[in-house]
Amino acid sequence: MSCHAEFLRVALDGNDRLPRAVLGELSTLGDACTTSRQKALVELVTAVTVAPWSLSRAHHQRATVAGLTDDDLLHAIALSAYFGHLNRIADAVAVPLDYAVQLPGHHADPTTPALSPASDIIAGRQAIDLTKRPATATALAEWRTYLIQKDQPITRRQRTLIVRWVANWLGDGGISAPSDVTANPLDGALCSLAEIVTLAPWKLSDACFEELRRDGFDDVALFDVCATASAAGLFSRIEVALVALGT
Amino acid sequence: MGLAIIDYPSSTGALRDIYDRMRERPLPPVYRPAHGGAPGIVTAHSLDPLLIPKVFTTSSTLNGAGPLSWPERELVNATTSRLNQCFY
Repeated sequence: MSCHAEFLRVALDGNDRLPRAVLGELSTLGDACTTSRQKALVELVTAVTVAPWSLSRAHHQRATVAGLTDDDLLHAIALSAYFGHLNRIADAVAVPLDYAVQLPGHHADPTTPALSPASDIIAGRQAIDLTKRPATATALAEWRTYLIQKDQPITRRQRTLIVRWVANWLGDGGISAPSDVTANPLDGALCSLAEIVTLAPWKLSDACFEELRRDGFDDVALFDVCATASAAGLFSRIEVALVALGT
Repeated sequence: MGLAIIDYPSSTGALRDIYDRMRERPLPPVYRPAHGGAPGIVTAHSLDPLLIPKVFTTSSTLNGAGPLSWPERELVNATTSRLNQCFY
C-alpha cells in the first residue's frame, strides 16, 4: 500500500487527502472520495478483494448510476484481482520497500482474522465478458497456461489441487471440486499454506513455511505453492466477480 | 524473513536477461525506484524467472491505459493493497 498511496498522491498532482484516507480507517475512505466514480470504485474493489461472490446486479446498477461503464467495471475488477496477486507475492517474500514515499503505510496486523470462504458457489455466464479487454484476456490466458503446464518444482497434481481449493474458497463454480482428487498426508500442509495465501495473506511469515520445509520443500518450491495459489486466486476472483455481477 | 529474493547483482542467466528487459520498459518516472534496478515487486518473483514476463505483461495491459484514469487506477491499486494489508 505504501507505493501505491504514493503513486496515487502523485497522480492527484500532490493532493494527499485521498491517499491519507486509503492508509487510514477504511470505513471513512468513501467520505474522502471526491467523485461518485471514486466511491463506486472503492465499493467494487472492496467486494472483489473481500467477497467477490457477494457481488450482484444491484452492485452493477449502483456502479452504472455512479458513472462507471461496463468497460470501467471490467478494468477495475481485473486490476484489483491482479493487485491481489502482487500483494500476496510481496508478502510471501517480504519484499522491502524500495521507493521514497511521503505517506508510509502500516505493517500488517497478523492477528486480523482471515477472510471468510465463499458462502455461495457462483457459476454461469460472465455479466461482462473478459474478452472485451482482449490484451488482458490474452495475457491472463498465457499466464494460466504457464501455471497449469508446469510440472516442477511442485507436481501438476499438487498444482491442480491448489487451484481447486482456491476456487472453492472463492466460490468459483467453474472449476471442479477438490474432493475429486484423492488426498495424501502432504496435501494437508499444502492446503494450509494455500489457504493463508488466499484468505489471510497478512499472516504470511516464516512459520507458515515450516511444515512444508520439513517435508523437503525449498524456497523455490514454496514460492511455487504461493504463486500458484495467488494466481489461482486472481483467475477465480475475476471469474466470480464477473459472473456474480449478473446474479 | 520471507522466501528468498535474488536481486540484480546476484542474478545470472535467464533471470538477469529478464531483469534487463524489465528495466528497459518505458515507465513514468514515479514508477522507477531510486536504486535504478528493477522494482522490488519484480524481484519478488525472482524464484520463478519465467513467471515474470507473464505477470508483468498482464500489468502492462491493466496499468498502462484506461478506460480508468491514472488516479482511478491508483485508487484501485492502493485500496486493494490496503485491504490486503500489504505494506509494500
